[in-house]
Amino acid sequence: MLSEFDLEMPSDLQASLSSLPYATPLGGGTNLLVDLRARREKSKRLVWLGNIQAFREIKINAQQVSIGGGTTLSDILHSPAMAEAAPSLFNAARVFGGQMVRNRATVAGNICSGSPAADTVPPLLSLDATICLTNAEGCRSVPLDQFYTGFKTNLRRQDELITGLSWLVPNSNTANLFYKLARRKGDAISVVGVAVTVTREGDRCTHARIALGSVGPTVFRAKDAEAILAGGLLSEKLINDAAQKAMEQSKPIDDLRASANYRRHSVRVLTRRLITQAWHSLPEKTAHT
Amino acid sequence: MSLEKAIPVKINGVPHELLARANETLLDCLRQHGQFEVKNGCEKGDCGACAVQIEGEAVDSCLTLTWTVEGRSITTLEGLNDTNKPHPLIAAFMEQGAVQCGYCTPGIIVAAEEMLRETLNPTDDDIALALSGNLCRCTGYTKIFAAIRQAATVLREGGGND
Amino acid sequence: MTDQTPHRQTEANVVLRQIGKPLERSDAEGKATGRTRYAGDYTMPSMLHGRVLRSELASARLKHLDASAARNLPGVLCVLTADELPDRLAATDIPGQTGQKRASTDRQILVREFIRHHGEPLALIAAETPAIAEKAHDLIEYEIEPLPGVYDIDSALGPDAPIVTEPDNIVGQHKIRKGNVDKGFAEADHIIENTFKTQFIEHAFLEPEVGLAWVDENGVINIRMSTQVIEHFRFIADALGVPHNKVRILGAMVGGGFGGKEDITVELYLALLAQATRRPVRLAYTREDSFLGHGKRHPFVISHKTGVTKQGKITALEVNIRADSGAYVFLSPYVLLYSAVAAPGPYRIDNVKIDSAAIATNNMYTSAFRGFGAAQACVAYEAQMDEIAKAIGIDRFELRRRNFMRTGDKTATGQTVESAIWSDECMTRALEALGEETKAEEPVKIGRGVATYQQSYGRITWLHDTAEAWVGIEIDGTVIVRSGVTDIGGGQVSALSQIAAESLGVGLEDVIIYHSDSAVTPLAGTTTATRALYMTGNAVHKASSILRGRMIDFAANELDVQPDEVDLANGQAFVVDDPSNFISLTDLAARGASEGLQRSELAMFRAPFTDPIDKETGQGPVFPDFTYGCHAVEVSVDTETGEVTVLKSVGAHDIGQAINPQAVEGQIEGGALMGQGYALSEELIYQEGKLVSPSFSEYLIPTSMDMPEIKTIILESRSGLGPFGAKGIGEPSFTPVAPAIANAVADAIGTRVFELPITPEKVVKVLSQSQTNGDLEQKLNKTPLLED
Repeated sequence: MLSEFDLEMPSDLQASLSSLPYATPLGGGTNLLVDLRARREKSKRLVWLGNIQAFREIKINAQQVSIGGGTTLSDILHSPAMAEAAPSLFNAARVFGGQMVRNRATVAGNICSGSPAADTVPPLLSLDATICLTNAEGCRSVPLDQFYTGFKTNLRRQDELITGLSWLVPNSNTANLFYKLARRKGDAISVVGVAVTVTREGDRCTHARIALGSVGPTVFRAKDAEAILAGGLLSEKLINDAAQKAMEQSKPIDDLRASANYRRHSVRVLTRRLITQAWHSLPEKTAHT
Repeated sequence: MSLEKAIPVKINGVPHELLARANETLLDCLRQHGQFEVKNGCEKGDCGACAVQIEGEAVDSCLTLTWTVEGRSITTLEGLNDTNKPHPLIAAFMEQGAVQCGYCTPGIIVAAEEMLRETLNPTDDDIALALSGNLCRCTGYTKIFAAIRQAATVLREGGGND
Repeated sequence: MTDQTPHRQTEANVVLRQIGKPLERSDAEGKATGRTRYAGDYTMPSMLHGRVLRSELASARLKHLDASAARNLPGVLCVLTADELPDRLAATDIPGQTGQKRASTDRQILVREFIRHHGEPLALIAAETPAIAEKAHDLIEYEIEPLPGVYDIDSALGPDAPIVTEPDNIVGQHKIRKGNVDKGFAEADHIIENTFKTQFIEHAFLEPEVGLAWVDENGVINIRMSTQVIEHFRFIADALGVPHNKVRILGAMVGGGFGGKEDITVELYLALLAQATRRPVRLAYTREDSFLGHGKRHPFVISHKTGVTKQGKITALEVNIRADSGAYVFLSPYVLLYSAVAAPGPYRIDNVKIDSAAIATNNMYTSAFRGFGAAQACVAYEAQMDEIAKAIGIDRFELRRRNFMRTGDKTATGQTVESAIWSDECMTRALEALGEETKAEEPVKIGRGVATYQQSYGRITWLHDTAEAWVGIEIDGTVIVRSGVTDIGGGQVSALSQIAAESLGVGLEDVIIYHSDSAVTPLAGTTTATRALYMTGNAVHKASSILRGRMIDFAANELDVQPDEVDLANGQAFVVDDPSNFISLTDLAARGASEGLQRSELAMFRAPFTDPIDKETGQGPVFPDFTYGCHAVEVSVDTETGEVTVLKSVGAHDIGQAINPQAVEGQIEGGALMGQGYALSEELIYQEGKLVSPSFSEYLIPTSMDMPEIKTIILESRSGLGPFGAKGIGEPSFTPVAPAIANAVADAIGTRVFELPITPEKVVKVLSQSQTNGDLEQKLNKTPLLED
């Protein structure tokens, strides 16, 4: 049974924002209601965002992808263009919860939950996504990479909502992959989530992103590992070094699902594997478009 | 404690009002309303036994607040079977032996029906993905997949209710 | 062909018209349309809502409990604590009409002073609404003082271990002695020793425990509930101190059981609350209540020491079995007996020494779960067979063939198996069905494994099991069956309808069955121990056969022929050699009614009755009969991440005679996935006895995304003790799956994980430990797999 609370049902964004200073935003509810039932969440006032028009939209053009704060995981999965514009996010959506949860859970909510195991966050970090935090006064853009400040803490102020996210469409020399290692293939909490982005120019890697989930207090980018790859002539050794560095940058804990040691090991294996796979999927000759 | 409100909805095509407080879930309200085909399995979105469709979209009714479905159309398993002829999915579940204890069945058919409106040529991957939020402990899913394939064939060949 | 060639022992003149056909189950339509009412779907006017307050600690003393604030809350009808209950205990033994003296397995109804496991009930609440009951639950104040506890079997046996329940922590022991193991080991060329471990697991039926109780005008406490066992009404009456005929349990279609609804769950609390309030009370467990509120599968530690000749003949076997029984005894002694009897597997071994013990801890109590100790035994003996084969360099399937029991052989307890033993045939067929080996690229490896088994169906024979059924023909020729059997999803009632339809020559749709009502339907015992079809099926078969004979005699008179010339089929009694000479069953029943013909029959089926086995040697018959079969799987293992994917899963079982092959396939497919969860992903984690995460987001049963290609192969020796020669398949379909997967993983990676579940992490760990061969190390970039 859910704890008692009041529920506001504003019909537009402005009304929602004016409620926010006193209320907890309720998006898909697939986390918040579970936490309310378990008494982990103690909010006494919720504001339902589901009535906000145009909040649930995906816009993809040649350069940029932007999605609204109400975009669900199913919306991602039902967008064929998304499979091109954000393959890692698309694949994360496939292994996210079950169908009913995907139909309700929002990308913005997954980001805000702050869980280190949030499946969409490694992909979005690997894509250099920027989030739009809106309050009654206006909107500020924050790179997702700077959003998290610690375990389940972030830069969102009580009066702000994530109203949208955007990122640049990877070019044809860029590969973007995600892998979720879990104890079960369907609907499971990740043991390790790794997303990588690699841009290839000939034998050189000109851009690399490695984002890691479930191996630290927040999802994070293994920037030292990225630095090993970026600008370098890519070799097996370089990939191994980067994978090793990603492992060293991980700060996992032991929990029910796996030990810290196994998680570190898996970060190295998966990072090496995904970068290798990404690299080999890209044309040796740069296609200039 | 918040006040109880009368929430107008359509349940399987028929207008009704559900009496609910802010913190009441659609699962509890539908069962109080007599929709016992909506099953309570976990109350936290892990099992899918309580799945219903809202405007055709399958959701866990345990994770849906009743107030948030004001004015919406809710479809339960009962609503998929509202003619004299059983829905092809229901017929296929019976014929293929896809039902054992039957407790997961309503939610599974609700989830599968949404998928079949998107594709009538589902691959096994499509079926697996559509059912990934519905746990079944009896069948090993094998006959459930067979039933969904059969229903897809029937619907492709125009054997549905519509 | 060899002596294992299947041969049908069909009686020449029996034409089966319904049995053996994949008919749509009689319960399919109600369930597929959502019209079937489960126990939780019943309500009554002025119904109250129950709630259970549970202990948060596993070993503690309840110092003080104050329910006054809860009692004063408007809308709260009663709060029961141990103070309000007479100082009476509740039995946790096997229920039924056996009349046998039971082991001392009682437990407190509510905590009086000592808390022995996490979740043990402290108080019961009944209130006008679930919300008020919840609020009252939160208003009960109590203070508990943690006490030292024991949380694993080794420490439970230590010299200074706290005693969970007096007199000691060993709550059940069994011995089996056959031949001379010293002599057997002396004859062996190799001796192989291994220890295998299994984990706590959860039944995870989809329908949490639920019921509705009311007291009627006769003072009878009626309880409509989800249970495998309506005959707990006697234990409930005893616990309440009322006569047995003042408690009635009515079932409903059960949303899954698997042994988890075999013990008493909500009915005791419902009875107490209804008795206290004199109003109808509904109690629905939440999923968390369900995780905390019923017994689990025993974790086992099983050591095998096997002597074997160069040729692969097993000469001696010594097995030591220890299991965690948790805080209360429940069915642990029986589970340990099953595991001891099963421990040698389906193999002929002349010299056997087996010791099994159930050990009390402050973990959750453990009790019945599909496979009932024999499943854990199989995890060990089938892994041991592969380890023996590997150690002595012999093909693992050939090793099994050289040791399989054959039809007519004796078990380790000296019981001659009268039915067919087709282990070899089942294994051959299962392996064939795996087909071409799947190709994989490094670092993924493919492995295959099998497990065969010997699993009893029917109860322990010294429990003197019986089942009753009533079959009647209405005046219009339709058929009614009444039997106290519960249907837990396996098609139990549909199978009974099919047997009556077969005998009486009507369609399945012409039969209606009334079931699971302890006051009204003849008592049929429990739906447990793979006994429902065997026991109740035989009772229905017996009743309907007697009725059939009577109808044929009457029809012969009407048709002016001899009874042996008449058959019943398609709703008619007809002359076999002249089918145009017939009378419809409708007319026959009507004429019979006017002539005073008895158109109903109540029959009792009795299983073989024996005396208990010898305590020191374990020699003697234990079970009515056994099912034999094989499960084979193919897996892929990612040797870097340790992830295991089951690709193909094949169950081949001799089930004697399929009553409904579609339902049999359903059992085998369901067993395949449940066994897969046991092997790979399922585990209840207790920390200091506390269940860390009672939820389906942490307790991972297989999903649709985890389903392999599953094939089922049904062999029919028609040699079983069930109706038409049927054996049982409910538990046997599950038992060999986990060991087959464990063997396939070991085959893939060349080394073994000795402890279930085989998590990716454990796979990586054993690979890391076996890296001495070098090539693996190279493959893994010469870096250690794990840092520790």
